[in-house]
Amino acid sequence: MPGFSVKGMNSMFSLYFGHYLLNKGLITTGELTEALDLMDSVHLKLGVLAVNAGYMTAKQVDQVHQTQAGMDRMFGELAIELGYLTAGQLDDLLSKQSKGHLVIGQALVDKGRLSLEQLQAALEDYKKDYSLTDRQMYLQQEGDIDEIVSTYVKIEDSAENEIFRSYVSLMVRNVIRFIDSSPRVEARQVIENLDAQWLVWQEITGPINLFTAIACEENVFMELARRYSGQDLSGPPDELAQASVAEFLNLQNGLFLVHMSNNGVELEMKPQLVDHNRTMAKLGTSCIVPMFLNTGRCYLIVSNTAPVM
Amino acid sequence: MKPIRILVCDDSLLVRSRLKESLRQCGDHEVFEAKDGQGAVDLYKQHLPELVFLDIVMPEKDGLEALHLIKQFDAAARVVIVSSAGTQSHLRKAIEAGATDFIQKPWEQKQVESIIARVLSERDEQHV
Repeated sequence: MPGFSVKGMNSMFSLYFGHYLLNKGLITTGELTEALDLMDSVHLKLGVLAVNAGYMTAKQVDQVHQTQAGMDRMFGELAIELGYLTAGQLDDLLSKQSKGHLVIGQALVDKGRLSLEQLQAALEDYKKDYSLTDRQMYLQQEGDIDEIVSTYVKIEDSAENEIFRSYVSLMVRNVIRFIDSSPRVEARQVIENLDAQWLVWQEITGPINLFTAIACEENVFMELARRYSGQDLSGPPDELAQASVAEFLNLQNGLFLVHMSNNGVELEMKPQLVDHNRTMAKLGTSCIVPMFLNTGRCYLIVSNTAPVM
Repeated sequence: MKPIRILVCDDSLLVRSRLKESLRQCGDHEVFEAKDGQGAVDLYKQHLPELVFLDIVMPEKDGLEALHLIKQFDAAARVVIVSSAGTQSHLRKAIEAGATDFIQKPWEQKQVESIIARVLSERDEQHV
């Protein structure tokens, strides 16, 4: 499946929620692409925001729209008058109007791909399917990376997994900072062997030993290289392209070492290496996370044992 | 202004090229480059640069080993460590080994500019 791109941290939720709707069969790939493309021009309406916030039902929003049709009155004003919203709730919705987290819902409603009732039901199902509390749902919509990683990568709670979780969260932040404004991660996979057309890896040593890697096809490797170096590189990957992706992993690991050092754990790292057409075998207790960028998928690998290569 | 002789050492071609570009923006300086610690030590002895930018994690000889050897050869060597791992322990080891500065990757242009300005101003003071 191709990568989809959306702009800005608040739009992150739109990307994930859009894929949820796609996986549920509520929209097609074409409709998702269309909605994501439309996001820049869509204006969030108070009705969609009110339904998302749980302040109003879709039916109440429709009723306000119907009442509105016959007179020149503002939505918020009428909703308060009909007793559906309080003034405080209206203020809250107005402050959220400038944020992008629900733009995809608005785009799909505007295009007639979903009714407001279907959007309301889908938002409720989404919350239920991922067992999200109101607070967790709010954090996701605010583009909170830790929350998004916890929800989607599905790393169970344990001391070892806490390291994997913080590593993956940091990687997503660095991808957003240096590579792609809207990476999308999927559930952690348990794989014994992984074939990589292109592979960059680096070992972290000390009280905790970690094997870290990024594995991908050549087109994704070149995208990583171009974005991180800021240079117009074209394949096959030459020394500069390889150095660029390797340096991105080195930067990620350097920042991870700083994070661990701040938590009292001093680690070291070995030089980063690049290779192609490699099979990693016996990956052990590892965290392999598919990440979708604009041009395709790469795998982030963080394991407490080095694989056989 | 007489150009500064600068040695840049990092195993990454990208980092070397970015550092050279940062230095080019600071003036027309004479830049040598090495891609590992041993290369840095050899080039230092050969060219006696006034300033060295040195990575820590490198194959062959790492940056801290190279720093020790450079300081053994020239106690007055001015060496700036450039690393993505700016941990307390790395910082302490670098300072103990005699590094004059520590820059965390990715650096900002003004960090490089202020180091170059310091070298130039110290050079002026020596000539007064």
